[in-house]
Amino acid sequence: MKLQNQLDPLSRRAFCERWASAALGVTVLHGFGRGSLFAEEAKAAAPSGPGYGKAKNVIFLQMVGGMSHIDTLDPKDGPTQGPKAPIKTKADFQLGGTMENLAKHADKVSIIRSMTSKTGVHAAGQYIIRTGYEERGTIKHPNIGAWAQHFLGASHKTLPSSVCVNRQPQNGNGFFPSSFAPLPILDPDVGLQYAKSEASEEAMIKRLVLLEQLDTGFRDRFKTSEVKSYTQFYDKTISIMSSTDLEAFKLDEEPAALKEKYGKGKFGQGCLLARRLVEKGIRYIEVAKGGWDMHNNIEDGLDEHGAELDQALSALLDDLKERGLLESTLVVLCSEFGRTPKINGNSGRDHHPKVFSTLLAGGGVKGGFIYGSSDKEGMAVADKQASPQDFLSTIGWSLGLPIDEIVMSPSNRPFTVGDKGKAIMDVFA
Amino acid sequence: MKTRLCLPLACALLVTGLRADNEVYRTWTDTQGRKLDATFRGIENGNVFLQVRNGYVYRLPLDKLSAADQEAAKTLKPEGLGIPSDPNLAQAAAQIDMLVEAGLKKADQKPNPLASDEQFVRRVFLDLVGRIPTREETLEFINDPSVSKRAHVIDRLLKSPGSASHLFNYFADMLRMADVAQKARFYTYQDWLKQQLTDNTPWNKIVYTMMNADGKLLENGATGYLLRDAGMRLDNLSLTLSTFIGANVSCAQCHDHPFADWTQRQFYEMAAFFGATETYGARGNSGMKGMQKVLASLGDRKLQQQAKNVLRVNALAVENTTENDLTMPDDYKYPDAKPGDPVKPKLITWSDDKTKKAYQPVPVKHDEKLREQFAKWMTSPENPRFAMTIANRLWKHIFGVGVKEPVTDLDDPSASVNPALLHHLATEMVRLKFDLKQFLRVLCNTQTYQREATSHELADNTPYLFPGPILRRMTSEQAWDSCATLVIGADVDKFKGHRGSTYAQAMNIDFSGSASPDALKQQIENAVASMRQFGGGKATAKPNKKTKGSQTEEEQMGLAPPVRNGLVLARASELPQPEKDQHFLRMFGQSDRQIADSESTEGSIPQVLMLMNGEAQRVIGQNDSLVVQTANAQDTPEKKVESLYLSFFSRKPRPDELGNSVAALNNGLTMRDLTWVLFNTREFIFVE
Repeated sequence: MKLQNQLDPLSRRAFCERWASAALGVTVLHGFGRGSLFAEEAKAAAPSGPGYGKAKNVIFLQMVGGMSHIDTLDPKDGPTQGPKAPIKTKADFQLGGTMENLAKHADKVSIIRSMTSKTGVHAAGQYIIRTGYEERGTIKHPNIGAWAQHFLGASHKTLPSSVCVNRQPQNGNGFFPSSFAPLPILDPDVGLQYAKSEASEEAMIKRLVLLEQLDTGFRDRFKTSEVKSYTQFYDKTISIMSSTDLEAFKLDEEPAALKEKYGKGKFGQGCLLARRLVEKGIRYIEVAKGGWDMHNNIEDGLDEHGAELDQALSALLDDLKERGLLESTLVVLCSEFGRTPKINGNSGRDHHPKVFSTLLAGGGVKGGFIYGSSDKEGMAVADKQASPQDFLSTIGWSLGLPIDEIVMSPSNRPFTVGDKGKAIMDVFA
Repeated sequence: MKTRLCLPLACALLVTGLRADNEVYRTWTDTQGRKLDATFRGIENGNVFLQVRNGYVYRLPLDKLSAADQEAAKTLKPEGLGIPSDPNLAQAAAQIDMLVEAGLKKADQKPNPLASDEQFVRRVFLDLVGRIPTREETLEFINDPSVSKRAHVIDRLLKSPGSASHLFNYFADMLRMADVAQKARFYTYQDWLKQQLTDNTPWNKIVYTMMNADGKLLENGATGYLLRDAGMRLDNLSLTLSTFIGANVSCAQCHDHPFADWTQRQFYEMAAFFGATETYGARGNSGMKGMQKVLASLGDRKLQQQAKNVLRVNALAVENTTENDLTMPDDYKYPDAKPGDPVKPKLITWSDDKTKKAYQPVPVKHDEKLREQFAKWMTSPENPRFAMTIANRLWKHIFGVGVKEPVTDLDDPSASVNPALLHHLATEMVRLKFDLKQFLRVLCNTQTYQREATSHELADNTPYLFPGPILRRMTSEQAWDSCATLVIGADVDKFKGHRGSTYAQAMNIDFSGSASPDALKQQIENAVASMRQFGGGKATAKPNKKTKGSQTEEEQMGLAPPVRNGLVLARASELPQPEKDQHFLRMFGQSDRQIADSESTEGSIPQVLMLMNGEAQRVIGQNDSLVVQTANAQDTPEKKVESLYLSFFSRKPRPDELGNSVAALNNGLTMRDLTWVLFNTREFIFVE
């Protein structure tokens, strides 16, 4: 849209100036986003070691409902095995019987089999695995995407630095400003909500010109940061609407065969969208997948949801690898808790936070590696216990965040990335 | 200027700092030779209104004044804002103004100029009834020649139904009111609060009732406060203390507060007042035990599961037990107690607390009275923080910033930007017997409120001393209710939800033991059947659609709000609490009701996309929208534009705005486009 050319000279100058400021990444926020200001200082104080800062992007795959560790990443023989027997993989460990495709990519992944969490409640567990903190009625905690934006600045000149696919943006920016919140894409096939105007391009330009004329008086009178910030959001939004950046959200442009390879469901297409967004320079993308709360008939549940995960994750690892993006992209698979080793009376498994598994790939992480273990039944941690805080600190480490640095919230309370967890250094190559 | 005759006197007053230097005093003399030193506030119906230095306003018949003063009254320009509706009110407002102005003077700052009628009417509607005025409401006010019109519109708005709706939105955010909690619907809680606000029940009584409520949620909505956090009494207490008495204790829940005085032990001693209160699963409800048999007798498993849901809702209740069972936490690490030790209740005090003797030690003989004891102490007019906290909150509600920020931390009132003002507001709240509407009435009648909004940016850490209200972005509810007003006008205030009684009627089952198993079974089946009306797990705002034979349009409006393009055009207070994620309200910052006081006024890209391309702009700009219909009924383009300006901004367009708008209309833009433009201005979403 050649909007600039159709404005009268004065309006054009105002537009260009303001769009330039948006385009150059001048921050819309105040008092946050120290990335540009203090980059040198951050580097000086930065820790270093294996894997530190290897990841430029994170794709965070969140299995909502509680993914059964035994049926996926931590298979067991014997009475707790579940519907399918463990299978061999390309690495020297086994996976759950549903993970047929992932087995071929085992050489690309590290699995943590000794995760443990304190809560068996869905929302509370999801909150902790995203933020590292317990949910409170008095403050919201940021996720890793928001922490990264705080320490590293925005990752893209117009688009937001975080996107969440198939879910609402809650547990996002926390106590950071709302511009740190992930942009929600509720349906990957639809893309960005309300991105298209009903007005014709010509009418839209006339509207915008008149809007400038009529609102200038107010903006000149009230030069407060709140008013300015709104004007910048409008500029940024208009520049997104009129730029090619929106193509990042258009899956139609992907070849049909590739769409097929990821799986046509919302999760498969969400993973494909995540890869597109990584290419466009979005730092943090969460893709959520529900259906894991398998209290009843876990066999059917795994046939549907386990298979969907297996297909999409495998396609994602393949695709990233082929495009040379896996080294700089950390792919994470997690869930709020695992499920009971015992199969219940309804042929399902119940909530089990005592031990569960997560997976990491790319971003400087070892391939074909297992960290920690659960006991023989998959009931409790046997070795090298890892908390959600350790897990998030590991992600923060991979992104090159100063995970020990204390940041004060606006209410003057101290917080750190991953709430003082310890990064699991063994997973880094 | 004639009024400069009194210059020496005005200068003397400047020194004492009682009144602002822009107020002019004059000595008035009546026919009997009595003198009064006062400012001239105006003349109406043959009476002259004179305000003396303590703020009191005298009303004197014109013909009782000396001839010279009669002449003066006819020619002088009235000072200030016109005539207040009663002399005590004028005095109360003036006292606040004096304290604000003293604070400004100390910092060598001046108050803002008085706001115009146009600025005032939009602001006072948004602040008191939560929506913009319609074009007609604006014109009625602007064209009213009366000098008492500001005071009158304040009184009228406080009496209108929109007032309770707007206050409900504020408290719903503060109290985290959600339709769904504990897998039940909290409709009775919402309806209860709405009723208190409609009845204008005093604040101390509202809070006391919430703290001390007993019984089932379905039968007593006030239990909703404690049941919202059933089984989490420590979290609940932490919020109670910060919300109602500004005690910043959230850290002390887990460890001694690093900055403030509160210790973890003190926190537990306060929690012990709830140690004999049962909110988890109504163990004393004996009738529940027999339910297993009835449950087992129900035919299929699906029905059993649904019946369990019905029973769980019925089990939500607050009950007093006979013994305080609170113990120190397992990880207690201080030397003054061991983990697991029983905790004795003890009230906190403040260093400036004069009630220490009255409330320490707690004279409780029976543990079941502990909660009542706490409720009495917390809501007492003598509690040094209770009145202050709500006064400071309402001040922020009206002025945009608290006298002390954050409003949840009043541990140290001297850290306020104007401690004298803060203490005075607390005293006023007590004097007005916690009547929230009277308190708001006083605030809105102050000159401080009726000044222009501050237009400059304050440097970081500069205290805001209230030269006027601050410029604020509308809350999500104000913005939504204003959108609905544009589309359907003042009728938007008519629809009321009342979901509580319908829900309670459907779900409430009598377990008293007198009912036979068969009768109980029937009740459960009925409840299961009517549960479907409330839509499985998701909250819906389906109004009750019983239609009777002959109804006026007004009655119909009370039953079902209009729906346009999928948007239910009812006040935010009557829609799901909170609305679903993609709704205008949520995208514009409505709290998710998980965190107290978490309404957001920040922008975001998805939000601006919604403003530019979402349903709201479409519904406002369509031909069936009131604002478009009214504008289209005007005969010239100029009048059409003026009509839109009055609807959106409560003012007429300036010549350049009129010229640009008419030119745009001539250049191919439609009314639809013009509404889009006005809706997307900063001027629309900000409150001057």
